[in-house]
Amino acid sequence: MEQSNKEHRKRKEKNTAKKKLHTQGHNAKAFAVAAPGKMARNMMRSSDVNERKLHVPMVDRTPDDDPPPVIVAVVGPPGTGKTILIRSLVRRMTKTTLNDINGPITVVSGKRRRLTFIECPANDLNAMIDVAKIADLVLLMIDGNFGFEMETMEFLNIAQHHGMPRVLGVATHLDLFKSQSTLRASKKRLKHRFWTEVYQGAKLFYLSGVLNGRYPDREILNLSRFISVMKFRPLKWRNEHPYMMIDRMTDLTHPEILNAQGNKVDRKVALYGYLHGTPLSSSPGTRVHIAGVGDFSVAQVEKLPDPCPTPYFQQKLDEHEREKMKQEGEASTGTTTRRRKRLDDKDKLIYAPMSDVGGVLMDKDAVYIDVGKKNEGLSFVPGQEKGEGEKLVTGLQTADKNYAEIFDGVGLQLFSNGFALQGDEYQDDDEEEEEEEELDENKDQGRASLRLPRVHGKAIHDADEIIDDSPSDEEGNEDVDGQPRLEEIDFDDNINNKNEELAMGSDSEFELSGDDEDNWQRKAASKLNGKINHRRKWDIGKLIYMDNISPKDCIQRWKGEDASDEAAESDIEEEEAEDNFFQKRDQNNDKTHNYEGDLEKFVPYFETIEKLVQKFSNLDAIKDRFLGAPSLGDDQNDQKMNDDDEELYGDFEDLENKDAFAGGQEEGAESASNSDAESEDSFADFEKEQKKELTVDEERELNASKKEKLRLQFEMEEGENFKEGDPENEYDTWYELQKAKIAKQLDINNAEFESMTPEQRQAIEGYKAGSYVRVVFDKVPMEFVENFDPRVPVIIGGLLPTELKFGIISARVRRHRWHKKILKTNDPLVLSLGWRRFQTLPVYTTSDSRTRTRMLKYTPEHTFCGANFYGPLCSPNTPFCGVQIVANSDTGAGFRIAATGIVEEIDASAEIVKKLKLVGFPYKIFKNTAFIKDMFSSAMEVARFEGAQIKTVSGIRGEIKRALSKPEGHFRATFEDKILMSDIVILRSWYPVHVKRFYNPVTSLLLKNKTEWKGMRLTGQIRAAQNIETPSNPDSAYKKVERADRQFNGLKVPKAVTKDLPFKSQVHQMKPQRKKTYMAKRAVVLGGEEKKARTFIQNVLTISKDKEQRKKAKKQDQRKERLKRLAKAEEEKSQKDKEKKKEYFASHPKKRSAGDDDNGSSGKRRR
Amino acid sequence: MSSRGSYVVFSGSQNFRLRLVLATLSGKAIKIEKIRSNELNPGLKDHEVSFLRLLESVTNGSAIEISYTGTTVIYRPGIIVGGSVTHNCPNGKPVGYFVEPMLYLAPFSKKKFSIIFRGCTASHDDAGLEAIKWGMMPVMEKFGVRECALHTLKRGSPPLGGGEVHLVVDSLIAQPLTMHELERPTISSIRGVAYSTRVSPSMVNRMIDAAKVVLKKVGCEVNITADVWRGENSGKSPGWGITLVAETKKGWCYFAEKIGDAGDVPEDIGNVVAYHLLEEISKSAAVSRDQLPLALVYMVIGKEDIGRLRITSNQIDEKLINLLRDIKSIFGTEVFLKPVDYDNTDDFIATIKGVGFTNTSKKIA
Repeated sequence: MEQSNKEHRKRKEKNTAKKKLHTQGHNAKAFAVAAPGKMARNMMRSSDVNERKLHVPMVDRTPDDDPPPVIVAVVGPPGTGKTILIRSLVRRMTKTTLNDINGPITVVSGKRRRLTFIECPANDLNAMIDVAKIADLVLLMIDGNFGFEMETMEFLNIAQHHGMPRVLGVATHLDLFKSQSTLRASKKRLKHRFWTEVYQGAKLFYLSGVLNGRYPDREILNLSRFISVMKFRPLKWRNEHPYMMIDRMTDLTHPEILNAQGNKVDRKVALYGYLHGTPLSSSPGTRVHIAGVGDFSVAQVEKLPDPCPTPYFQQKLDEHEREKMKQEGEASTGTTTRRRKRLDDKDKLIYAPMSDVGGVLMDKDAVYIDVGKKNEGLSFVPGQEKGEGEKLVTGLQTADKNYAEIFDGVGLQLFSNGFALQGDEYQDDDEEEEEEEELDENKDQGRASLRLPRVHGKAIHDADEIIDDSPSDEEGNEDVDGQPRLEEIDFDDNINNKNEELAMGSDSEFELSGDDEDNWQRKAASKLNGKINHRRKWDIGKLIYMDNISPKDCIQRWKGEDASDEAAESDIEEEEAEDNFFQKRDQNNDKTHNYEGDLEKFVPYFETIEKLVQKFSNLDAIKDRFLGAPSLGDDQNDQKMNDDDEELYGDFEDLENKDAFAGGQEEGAESASNSDAESEDSFADFEKEQKKELTVDEERELNASKKEKLRLQFEMEEGENFKEGDPENEYDTWYELQKAKIAKQLDINNAEFESMTPEQRQAIEGYKAGSYVRVVFDKVPMEFVENFDPRVPVIIGGLLPTELKFGIISARVRRHRWHKKILKTNDPLVLSLGWRRFQTLPVYTTSDSRTRTRMLKYTPEHTFCGANFYGPLCSPNTPFCGVQIVANSDTGAGFRIAATGIVEEIDASAEIVKKLKLVGFPYKIFKNTAFIKDMFSSAMEVARFEGAQIKTVSGIRGEIKRALSKPEGHFRATFEDKILMSDIVILRSWYPVHVKRFYNPVTSLLLKNKTEWKGMRLTGQIRAAQNIETPSNPDSAYKKVERADRQFNGLKVPKAVTKDLPFKSQVHQMKPQRKKTYMAKRAVVLGGEEKKARTFIQNVLTISKDKEQRKKAKKQDQRKERLKRLAKAEEEKSQKDKEKKKEYFASHPKKRSAGDDDNGSSGKRRR
Repeated sequence: MSSRGSYVVFSGSQNFRLRLVLATLSGKAIKIEKIRSNELNPGLKDHEVSFLRLLESVTNGSAIEISYTGTTVIYRPGIIVGGSVTHNCPNGKPVGYFVEPMLYLAPFSKKKFSIIFRGCTASHDDAGLEAIKWGMMPVMEKFGVRECALHTLKRGSPPLGGGEVHLVVDSLIAQPLTMHELERPTISSIRGVAYSTRVSPSMVNRMIDAAKVVLKKVGCEVNITADVWRGENSGKSPGWGITLVAETKKGWCYFAEKIGDAGDVPEDIGNVVAYHLLEEISKSAAVSRDQLPLALVYMVIGKEDIGRLRITSNQIDEKLINLLRDIKSIFGTEVFLKPVDYDNTDDFIATIKGVGFTNTSKKIA
């Protein structure tokens, strides 16, 4: 059969719009907008897309060159494969297999990137909160076979309120699906659910089954690639605080103390880790918070060599070394660095001090070395070591000398170029004696008592402390005497002296410092040395901060005014001697040097007018400070200045000299006088002359200074104002301008820091992020050490000054919509705000149209409300979340995050009120006046409320006038209208509510069982425990209001009144009818048979009605009975069902039984 | 809680106001010991107690404990709240003594500052009204505090006073801008105000003429205004004085001021102030000596970036060293002084890293 197709229709040649464009060789499109609507839409869309990309410009304070490792947290419910994932990733990146994962593991993942993996303990809410605060990337483990669990949702919600790190979902257990279609369907379902939680299009990885205790290599490779190229945005909180996750803990408490005082003493603890965030201040006593322990002052910080450096950093170090070698003149080795694309095996470092990497396990008090399995052959064979640990031990075995032998012939070398001193030569030296003794002791039996250690040249602030210790000016001279600032030898007796003096030193140390001899000696020595040392040039930067030198001395030393020095010193002595007598002192002081007198004085010190007149008789010195001043050719200073400029602007010699002179100030070009031109000529000659004289070195120097000046000028133009007001500047948008500014400032910071010496840099910048530091804390509770568990992350967060203060925080909070119950005012709530987790008693409030803050008893159901609570302050705009219970044993199945919010304001106090209605009743009513009773109990109370507004229930407003004398507490009030006796009078007042000052930090890390921290109990919990009924005021109960209908009497107008009313207002009353109606006229009288019949019928009807009624009542009773029966049956049935269900689920657990959670770590599921 | 009982301890009465101001900004408790403990009248002076009162009224929750003898003060700062306050200054010190430290606090408060000060408006030792208005406020403006003003409602010369000024600071900023000033700015003009209360206006004109004679030499525009106060707004005592300000295009300025005593010749005062101005210019780089504390403190409480300010070696005096030591003991920040090597002056660049202070007391919208 033949196919019948439609006939082809040829396309009509239409005169289309496109054709029209090209008429007569004219391209219309080239000259006008063809489709303005479309174009507008396109533009709109593209600008929308661009706009969405923008974020508020924020300074990223992570250093570019050596950033800290990225913290990758693996989070998930128990049994989702967290440990296996870490193990697989570590194996992928470093080719090391970990048996046990304890604490953070740092690995090198790329040339410039390191990763720190941490496993968040499953089902530990405290740990989840801490991890959410520091993780840069979260690998969120989801059991694909089961779906999302409560922990996952809780973690996501916690993370969202602490700045939301990057989140990668990882779905595991996908091999358990039998059929492909269900797998696909559930993958899709998971993905979409994940997207609604994180963001649309968030990446979710799927990992299938486990092979050899690891996930498949290909899948892990993909995941690790994804991680290693991931970029991170700075988060606000972390960009403002230093923080650190510790990967090692050591108890430094001296064993002697433990022996003497038992193990219940506070410990000295060293915590190690990489610093993140902003630099940690190097000044002593910086306050930090250890999450789960409390606030502490840092006793000491020390930067350690990086245990896990990136290849890039190592390469830079090598280059630096090479540079040094070159400078020293040695022949370079000639090996140039090859550019490698891949990581070398030797670069694939791993650092996990608390795990068992390489057979070495560093515990808190010992180092364990894994010797492998028994049947693997001999261990500790030199040359055949199986791990780093064995190497260490075999190394020790081969040592042929003991330490005493090694150091036998070695003397003490004081200076690098001095000769070594042998111990016996200085046996009788006073100052060394003790130390020697100590040494001897060490040789013999070791030290038995505590020594106060003073470490040679360690951290900077320690050195400063040493200097600070010396209290009086006299001792300051010691430093002057050319001794190095870091004391290298322990002068123990000296130190003791100093300490004593410090202890005693109060009003005048001079008088109190007992040993005059010593002082005299020192003074004599300083005087002897004086002549040499006064010639020394002092660094003012250092002098300023040497607290033992008085400011006056500082200036003198710096300026090298040695002539007056001696005199001044004696002056001081005199003055201090005078201190002893009670004598008026300010007089002579003010007269002799009024300059130093009162530092409170605002007006600075000036020379006498005669000197000033003399000084400024010639204004040349400050001539260059004024705009439009004529340049003078004769002054040497000016010449030099011009000279420089001339060279600088060598190319523009034709320009007016003035411009150059004013240093690029355009305003200078007001008038160019003839003298300028002349001077220019003369300069040109002068310059030529000078050029010849310059040697190469000088020229180089000159060029360098020129360069510097140019750089600075560029900075001035670019760095300072960026031509902000100028619409022609190179930045298209405000955003770009801000970005440029931030970048410029960072450049300046880097440049300035690089120009400092390392010590100065550390003092000013602090310990910057990325450095591996050891932080020592004194007085850490012993429980922290005793109950230390490496699996639980320990986080140290730096605190800003505000966060050290306590006060009332007012915040905007909202009950989490997944939390089952609303929250009650003054019920304890554990808040995670800033670094801290603490329990507090919030008062929920609402604002009555901004006139007052009114207390709410409970949080509203679906909206924000205010909350005021006491606690450590935190800057406004900080988000937080709150939970009611953190202890796992008290947790039900519900969602634990109870509230989320944001800090609005901080203050020392808060004004919150609650409504108080006072009720009274009228007992006598005059026209607009009434006497009210029952509102107050005494006249005094009334007096307090005189003039207060009152109101009746019906809305008549009034005012309290005066207390009545007789019945105590009754008063007279006036109203705008006459009130009724049945009215209730109400006085609405506001009663202040105080926020309870309760702050209870969650010290979960001090517990043996970290998940069982219990604080103050909730009101409900206490009531349940003590079997107390919830108090209920019957007046507060909501019940149906039943109001009796009021019967009003008819209106009766008295005759006298009616008489006077106008006709229009007359009350119309009809006269009674006089004529009889038709019916009335014909009265029907029943009689005889009919009457009887009617009576009978009525009787019958009455009886039947009664019968019916009784029947009905009976039926109703029966019906009630039946309903009761039915309800009972129904209840029984449901009970039975429940039991059946319980029985079934007891024997067929759906996911895991509740008791499984506690042994969380071992919660690997058997399938 | 935990920080209770730990203070930064100072001793001596010097730098009293600044220490309290720094403590308030940093939120750290301080203890000042040995306040004039060796003098005939030991302890706090009238005006110092008055200042403590003022501090208490512009903050919320601060606790001040003064020992029985008045030689020890413990100050636990609260939160800077500002608001409308009236402060009666004791006659011993002029309003400048109280206004000056308020300039450090005002931009970082919860509410706008609006304080009326009553008392003397001038003295020999403390900042006068023009010094604050034309000398200090431009510095604040350089750091981003744009809307601040000092309105003179009444002038009151010492000894009886009777003046009234209104300090209004309307811009509440999160933190001061980071300063970079590496050059000595060039002076474009010299302005000034010569005032008198309850004396003949001719005094003012004579001062102006004398100052102009001296300043004529520098060859830049000089403009001095006469400000004569009469009637009830001119306080209770006669008095007169002059303030000269050298302005630069970049917004920096230098100033000098002096008031006349009974028996002084106006020409002398004008002359002296003009020379003082020249001296101040010769001694300062970007800021003058009396502006330096304000500038440095604003730099210290700035962002966690490096700020730079050029100072001269003449500006490093005892006052500065005391200031820097106090800053270090409260904020822990050190100033790094780097000699300027690109021109032949003995100037320094004071390099300061801000502490990352932010105005936390302000409510979010």
